[in-house]
Amino acid sequence: MKIPRVLNKKNRILLKELTKTDFKLRYQGSVLGYLWALLRPLMMFAILYIVFSKLLKIGNDIPHYPVYLLCGTTLWSFFTECTSQGIQSIIVRGDLLRKISFPKYIVVVSSQLTAVINLLINLAVVIVFALINGVTPSWTWFLIIPAILELYLFSLGIAFLLGSINVKYRDITSIWDVIVQALFYAVPIIYPISMVASTSTLAAKIILLNPIAQAIQDVRYNLITTETITTWNYIFNPSVIVPLVIVSVVLVFGAITFRRKSKFFAEEV
Amino acid sequence: MKRPIGTRTEVLEDNDTAIIVKNLYKSFNLPTEQSFGLKQAIFNRLRGIKGYKEQKVLKGLNFEIKKGEFVGIVGRNGSGKSTLLKILAGIYYPKKGEIIVNGTLVPFIELGVGFNPELTGRENVYMNGALLGFSNEEMNKMYDDIWEFAELKDFQDQKLKNYSSGMQVRLAFSIAIRAKGDILLLDEVLAVGDAAFQQKCNDYFRSLHDKKQTVILVTHSMDSVREFCTRAILLEDGKILLDGEPDKVASAYNKMLGISQDK
Repeated sequence: MKIPRVLNKKNRILLKELTKTDFKLRYQGSVLGYLWALLRPLMMFAILYIVFSKLLKIGNDIPHYPVYLLCGTTLWSFFTECTSQGIQSIIVRGDLLRKISFPKYIVVVSSQLTAVINLLINLAVVIVFALINGVTPSWTWFLIIPAILELYLFSLGIAFLLGSINVKYRDITSIWDVIVQALFYAVPIIYPISMVASTSTLAAKIILLNPIAQAIQDVRYNLITTETITTWNYIFNPSVIVPLVIVSVVLVFGAITFRRKSKFFAEEV
Repeated sequence: MKRPIGTRTEVLEDNDTAIIVKNLYKSFNLPTEQSFGLKQAIFNRLRGIKGYKEQKVLKGLNFEIKKGEFVGIVGRNGSGKSTLLKILAGIYYPKKGEIIVNGTLVPFIELGVGFNPELTGRENVYMNGALLGFSNEEMNKMYDDIWEFAELKDFQDQKLKNYSSGMQVRLAFSIAIRAKGDILLLDEVLAVGDAAFQQKCNDYFRSLHDKKQTVILVTHSMDSVREFCTRAILLEDGKILLDGEPDKVASAYNKMLGISQDK
């Protein structure tokens, strides 16, 4: 069988235009426009910071805690945006799928590229805050790239899998909203993992086997402070590869499901 | 749930065949009562109900289109014309059978696909162009011509929602006629616009006819069939009733409608 070139010229143009359109439409009609891409996560951070750091006094033992928190919320927003946009994308672009023939994955990827752009803007803010907060720049900063890539691939896999089921069973959108809410507390974003570790090492280990937690902790470790507990410096048995296995399985299974179901999107959407 | 599917292959060969359709079948699984949603799906499975009804749309089509032919596809509403066009375009998958497309194919199932009311005319032109496979540079080159032809130059930076529906169609048509492909698939694009616009459409079709462009046109207008087509296919209930001279097919179609009106 001949393998078609995944990103030929036509598909690249299409991907670019769809992403541009998505990005423009997102902030269409608002006075501050693109600034919202920046303001929204900063405001979310401000709320969490006031509630958890100032009122509940959590995380005062971690160096650079505000940046540490901002870094976590930034990556979390990226993950939720990527998955929910990706899952919705096939339905949102249903009109297009019914009218022209093109590789369906373009719709999913283009919807997520908006989140990628937002992430890049916000990471720049995190870095500025880190420098103000007295974090010294280091070569290890480049090591955040594989962790972010892993987080993206995980959300891509989820979007492929749930997005293709969502075409027929729209319940997925609501179910995913609940799962995201639950995951938010299962991942050490607002609370430091050290807090869990001090009461139960087993619970902390289980939390760290979640690929989202692993990726966020890796970024914090390389970007902000090496005093961060990561999957790699906390778990010393073969189960340490569990996060990578989860990501790979979800991605492969998602891609296969999407490939199989995408033939019928035009009829079913 | 495993559904057997036919094949659709695109090739680039140097012979005089444009499209081959062999033994093509298509059916849709239409949901019965309320079978949307997860709850109903689980119930249906437990009760052993399929939850959908099979609607057979195309029942074994065979034909071959040569390069340079202008083929009109006619038939009553629901005879399978549009489904056939969408399968040729690669939007739907055939249930059974084989399709071979030789050359690049540009489908117009509808004018202005991807038009977004919240974007400006300019942005929509680039978006629509991308869907037709044009790069940014190609669009830059033909940009002024598009607006010239649509006679909407003063509205380029207005949002599309402020256009009248006639203006939107003119803009979409003006982009569409620039598309280049070996085979054009057109679905009822004639059926819109005022007399002046109809005239432009007819001029466009005549130019395609004169250029010996391969075209497949789905239409209800027997005048267009007689004027532009070199061949016509009459579909009825998912089967080919007649395939041949445009004149003969047009008369047969009119006769068929006459009979069905008497009933």
